[in-house]
Amino acid sequence: MSVETAYQYLFLTALIVLGILMGLVLIRSIIGPRITDRILCINMIGTLVICSVTILSRLLQEGWLVDIALIYAMISLLTVLILASVYNRKSPGPEKEPEGESLPDQPEQAAGEGISYAGERLSAASDPAYRVKEDAYE
Amino acid sequence: MSEWIRFWIVAVLLCIGILCYVLEVVGIFRFGYVLNRMHAAGIGDTMGLLFIVLSLMIASGRNLNSLKILLLIIFMWLTSPTSTHFLSMVEMRTNPYLDRYVSRRNAS
Repeated sequence: MSVETAYQYLFLTALIVLGILMGLVLIRSIIGPRITDRILCINMIGTLVICSVTILSRLLQEGWLVDIALIYAMISLLTVLILASVYNRKSPGPEKEPEGESLPDQPEQAAGEGISYAGERLSAASDPAYRVKEDAYE
Repeated sequence: MSEWIRFWIVAVLLCIGILCYVLEVVGIFRFGYVLNRMHAAGIGDTMGLLFIVLSLMIASGRNLNSLKILLLIIFMWLTSPTSTHFLSMVEMRTNPYLDRYVSRRNAS
């Protein structure tokens, strides 16, 4: 058994494991309750694909596949940023929640002053670096 | 003989990288909220990619390919915290029930 066949078996095993992990992340993105879960899973699938392409470039001895991995990294970043800025809207507030169904772990906060908007809380934060322009995306 | 030593170094580094990815996927399934899942997703973006890319650089030798792989990991380390930060900002802005999951001292 020469070294090159050992390398081939090693990289094939790594590719199979990465493919199984990609399927698991896809299942997580299907059952994710919020939209940010799905965007996060898209980001993770992008990272797994980048690793697979770099392993494949060593396995097939093709140097140009690393360029494809670089371009895929750029497109993955662009995908996440564009999807996040599409869904970056201020929330309409928790009016749809019925009153009797308060949260069990923090009852005093739900009973006392109520839950304010996420946008208000962000703009009222003391750190000016975390201030969000209110009409940036509207 | 030195080829086999290089092969075992590559195998060990690749197995550490795959283990980081397995931990990432386990954390994705075990954590309960998006901001916790981002913590788990950061493992694969930094350490998993680092070890896999390091093993591939050792395997391919002193080439132009190694330089491009190094450029890839520098690019991923710059862009992954950016996307995670932006995504967490979107989550904090759009979730109306944030107080169930996050306890903040400066909350009004």
